[in-house]
Amino acid sequence: MNLIDFKIAARSLFRHTKRNLLLGGAIAAVTLLLVLMGGLTEGIRSAMLESASTLMTGHVNVGGFFKFTSGASAPLVNDYEQVLEVTRRIVPEIDYVTVRGRGWAKAVSEQSSMDLVLGGIDVAHEPGFRKNVRIVSGNLDALAKPNTILLFEDQAKRLEVQVGDALTLSAPTARGVNNTADVRVVAVAKNLGILSAFNAFISGETLRGLYQLRRTATGALHLYLQDPSSAREVAARLRSRLAEAGFRVMDADPKPYWEKLMGKVNSEDWVGQKLDVTTWEDELTFISWILSAVGAITGVLMFILLVIVVIGILNTLAIAIRERTREIGTLRAIGMQRTRVLFLFVLEATLLGAVGATTGALAGVALSALVNAIQVAVPDSVQMFLMQQHLTLTVLGKTVLARALLILVLTGAAALVPALHAARLKPITAMHHVG
Amino acid sequence: MKLRTLAALVLALLAGPAAALTQLETDDLVKLVDERQHNNGDWAAVCYMESKEKDKTDVVYELVFYRRTEGQRLLILFTKPKAEAGKGYLRIEKNLWNYDPSTGKWERRTERERIGGTDTRRGDLDESRLSEEYTAKWEADEKLGAFDVHRLLLDVKEGVDVAFPRVELWIDAATGNILKRQDRALSGRLMRTSYYPRWKRVFSESKSDYVWFPEEMRFYDEVEKENSTLILVRQVDLRLLSANMFTKAWLESKSR
Repeated sequence: MNLIDFKIAARSLFRHTKRNLLLGGAIAAVTLLLVLMGGLTEGIRSAMLESASTLMTGHVNVGGFFKFTSGASAPLVNDYEQVLEVTRRIVPEIDYVTVRGRGWAKAVSEQSSMDLVLGGIDVAHEPGFRKNVRIVSGNLDALAKPNTILLFEDQAKRLEVQVGDALTLSAPTARGVNNTADVRVVAVAKNLGILSAFNAFISGETLRGLYQLRRTATGALHLYLQDPSSAREVAARLRSRLAEAGFRVMDADPKPYWEKLMGKVNSEDWVGQKLDVTTWEDELTFISWILSAVGAITGVLMFILLVIVVIGILNTLAIAIRERTREIGTLRAIGMQRTRVLFLFVLEATLLGAVGATTGALAGVALSALVNAIQVAVPDSVQMFLMQQHLTLTVLGKTVLARALLILVLTGAAALVPALHAARLKPITAMHHVG
Repeated sequence: MKLRTLAALVLALLAGPAAALTQLETDDLVKLVDERQHNNGDWAAVCYMESKEKDKTDVVYELVFYRRTEGQRLLILFTKPKAEAGKGYLRIEKNLWNYDPSTGKWERRTERERIGGTDTRRGDLDESRLSEEYTAKWEADEKLGAFDVHRLLLDVKEGVDVAFPRVELWIDAATGNILKRQDRALSGRLMRTSYYPRWKRVFSESKSDYVWFPEEMRFYDEVEKENSTLILVRQVDLRLLSANMFTKAWLESKSR
């Protein structure tokens, strides 16, 4: 391969401007679509991580269950300060930790009622919560006071309450005795996707009172890591090291805590405390179908688009070779080897692919930035699943590069068949070709 | 000031002293309530349960519940509607198990479970054990409609797990049947008011006496005011039940 080959390939491309512009444009459009779809998938994934790690999970969680009897269990970590101390020693890469109470209650207003998953929080020590939860009315700091609750817009709408109104929370305590807490709505926050449909927050003290818990007990320790992508490795390390430190630790089971609480924990014959270490992905398995669905749609679309590209390339190169049969014959007659002819045609297609993919990738990045900048509103019904109020496309450099390279390789590979056909032409036959 | 105090004293005397029950009499009264419902043998009855919830369609269940005094056994088998038929609860020692034939799985539930998601609790269908679970205090003798009643306040005993830690009872002074009951949460909030307008009795061979049971129970949710449950108990049969009745295998066999 030398510069002459590039010149010949480039010149051939320029000689058939219209046809190559069309094919190059198609390649660029497909690359653009792939970049946008990748951005959408990644956008949903990061929105899911952001809202989940704000509302119901850390990157890694040290939760657990306490069973008073075989049949009565509660999502509890007793003596959590001791657990936290050991956890900090095992995971030095922790960015920060939040202590969350876990519970479930029926919220009853004057007009309506609904089931809520309750998080007991200490709002002063929740940096992520403060950053991600946007208050529509009321005051987030008021959540530090006892007997207060933060609801999301849809919950407030369903319960027909606003800031200042009273609610009754009714739930069985950890031992199964009915209890209630009267709380006042102090803040209503903007919805945060599907998770904000059922998660609400009360002060940690109120949650302890409702479930009759000691001060040394909490629901879970949410660990936020400097590098969230290491969550699985950290969880595995925690599981084995906590067990070594003398804690009873449950086996890894990628399910949210409430699913375990309602199913396997109660059916197992043990009493006392067991810790359960999970990652944010484990806690969200019940909505991972959203990512799977988007992934499947992306996959199908990618396949269709790539088939179109391959057919386009095959067709265009077949026409080009037919038009340039005499030229191929001449080149072969003056001594060009079959492999060189093959290489020239593949190079020509690859060059076209490179220009198209680069243009498409750049256009995709630019369009994503534009979509993010103009803040396209997502319809309410779709917000639930996309977990976004404004369409956000998260374009990652490595994804763009991978998709552009895929297009490039595919273009080169698709050119092989017509290029082989061209290389197989006999010089004499080719030179006599009329057409 | 002196005049006012004197007037109050006269008024109190005129009103007459309330017929206060002594602690012993109060305890005996609660024991009597339990004893009248105690069978000392086996029990089978059909139960119709109608649940009304705000913004939801009314639900009606038919179920059969079996009891055995020995071992405090309880078995509840749903027979209607078709979608619920075969589901059931089985109490083994202190555990309440729920069986769902559609999955074939047994799940351990708390004894305070709402039966079929209604306002009915396990205790409503089980033998009365008020004297074992609560400490009673006489509150007043008063009228409940046309009935003279003793009003008692019951607080749960230390270490006993019950759905409602504080209960108020209105007991018919003439019969010893409960006419009204109010259940309170730990916070003191009123959770449920129950009425027992009809009591019936059946003769028990094993007890050699009559066993009383509330033929009709009406539960009113006091938190979600528009929710209520009606229970009718029919076809009470005190004959001996099969020995292997209170087992998981028996309940599973009923759903096949």
